Amino acid sequence: MRRAARLATAIGLVLFTASTAHAAKGRLNVLTWEGYADPSFVKPFTEKTGCQVKATYVGSGDEFVAKMVGSGNIFDLVSPPNDIARRLVDAGAVEPVDLAKAPVTTKFFPVFQRPAWLEKDGKTWGVPYSFGIVRIVVDADKVKNPPASVAVLWSDAYKGKVSLWDDMETLYMAARYAGITNVYEMTDAELATTKQTLLKGKPLVKKYWFSAGELDTLYNSGEVVASNAWETTLVNAWKAGRNLVEIVPTEGRGGWSDSWMVAKGAGKNPCTYQWIEWVSSPEMQALGHAVTGFGYSHPGMIDKLDPTTRGYLKRLQMDDPAVLSKVSWWQPVKRRNVYLETWNQVKAAKKL
Amino acid sequence: MKTTAAARAPGTDLSSAGTDGRALARRRLVLWLAPPMLWFTAFMLVPYAIMFFYSLGSMDYVDFVPGFSPANYVKALTAEPYPDVLLKSTVNGLLTALLSSVVAFPLAMWMAFGLASPRRRALVSILVVLPWWASYLVKVYAWKTILGAEGVLNTALMAIGLVDEPLSVLLYNRFAVVLTLTYIFTPFAVLSIYAQLERIPRSLVEAARNLGATDGEIFRRIILPISVPGVLAGAVITFSLGFGDFVTPSLVGGPDDLMITNLVVNLLGVSMDRPLGSAIGVVVIAFSVLLLMAANAAERRTQVRF
Repeated sequence: MRRAARLATAIGLVLFTASTAHAAKGRLNVLTWEGYADPSFVKPFTEKTGCQVKATYVGSGDEFVAKMVGSGNIFDLVSPPNDIARRLVDAGAVEPVDLAKAPVTTKFFPVFQRPAWLEKDGKTWGVPYSFGIVRIVVDADKVKNPPASVAVLWSDAYKGKVSLWDDMETLYMAARYAGITNVYEMTDAELATTKQTLLKGKPLVKKYWFSAGELDTLYNSGEVVASNAWETTLVNAWKAGRNLVEIVPTEGRGGWSDSWMVAKGAGKNPCTYQWIEWVSSPEMQALGHAVTGFGYSHPGMIDKLDPTTRGYLKRLQMDDPAVLSKVSWWQPVKRRNVYLETWNQVKAAKKL
Repeated sequence: MKTTAAARAPGTDLSSAGTDGRALARRRLVLWLAPPMLWFTAFMLVPYAIMFFYSLGSMDYVDFVPGFSPANYVKALTAEPYPDVLLKSTVNGLLTALLSSVVAFPLAMWMAFGLASPRRRALVSILVVLPWWASYLVKVYAWKTILGAEGVLNTALMAIGLVDEPLSVLLYNRFAVVLTLTYIFTPFAVLSIYAQLERIPRSLVEAARNLGATDGEIFRRIILPISVPGVLAGAVITFSLGFGDFVTPSLVGGPDDLMITNLVVNLLGVSMDRPLGSAIGVVVIAFSVLLLMAANAAERRTQVRF
């Protein structure tokens, strides 16, 4: 759902045609999000290594699983988010990464060095790439003295002016607000509590947003004054000179992180680790940021940006390892279908 | 006698040639029908069978487990939120069909009876289909622009002083969803109703008038009854398109405007619950088949031959 914005891409993917040149030397097939194999850093990669890169784009996280399980080793590399990655490991679609072949990863932010969601059986199964912290964003012109809590999204004062991300993250956020500690392994009772919490806030909700662009429009037109949001919403607002600010809630913030994972057997392809090393470098991650606006795993990335952009990322504390270590990074959710059903029940419920 | 025999002989020849001809025609028919039948089997029946197979199984974490359990159907028809959402989609589909027919009817009437020259009719027909040359998404976004807080409608209302602050009841609710769906799918209703009205012979209307019928009577007793199959055909199309839509509710709908296809997208795209998604798919298909059968029967019963 995270990038449901790429609906058009998803529809385009119906026409998905797979290339089968996996074994051929000097070729790399990657299954990834749009922007993660941008020509700005793919072209110099091909020039330097001679590896041709063929990218297939996904429209939703599930497509990583759907296309990797039972696609017969078409792809060499995939870049799923932290709540999906474990599924590929458990399904046997990927192989452990040999971090010795990607030495640059030792320079990553500490939270992205062998994070929990990429560890299984004492092995590491992926290399973190981009990330984002889910922010509580309010329009400071209309929301005065907001509390340092996600409670602002449940405040009657903003009835009909609240938006929430149409994503599982909103469920995690409501669970944290309800005082649940392990939001990724909730019991039925805890899920019921979370559902009640979301239903209580539902009358305030104008719209569950599904793309960052849509949320930007909602803030721009004044239809919404508070929501959970990506960093790009804040940066776009600041660029336009609008007074959107972030509330750092005491309940904590959720975070997503995409990682490059090696398809089973693809470690033999000499291009595979060259790619991992390439896209993990500060220079290439800076080029990636220009396309996506996301955070990246190498701290050196920020220094490669122009001063204005660097200023925004510093204001967002995207360069502070201490801040990153406090984020509630998404973990694999075993009962994803029950979570989704709860979320759908909330959405389908009539306003109270 | 001779004449009869002579007459009969060529007749017999003809009939045997006729049998050969029919056999040939039948063979040709098979040849002609083979590609569409193959297409239908490969791209409709086989996928439906696969979907049905999936719908009877279950997921064990990342693995699909085949089975013969009706559990997914029980869930799709009884567990929260599936039946509610199915009902909501049905109501939205019905509203779309009803409103499209209401909007389309006067236009189709005017095209069939108000425009004398065939060239003008052709021109108006093109104008009716013209919006379909623009992307579907663009049209949905256009309605966002019209209905939004800073939209065309609110700006105009505020400019003429009818309201002091933007109306928020226009966008992000069921009204916006049904309005957008109606706008987008009305051309189908127009063309379908027009095709039916066009068949009404002028002489029928003139005869009625000569016999002293008023315009109202002509409409009520001739045009309206004859138009029913066209209205039904249009309503089936607009209902199906409205019922199955998922882009419009996510763009202009409010927090509770969730349609059944949104759920299927979620089930396949987020929770990877293919079996339940498939079961809902089968329910929807079964529902559509029943609807089409009912509409066909109704069309046959109301069709008028001239």
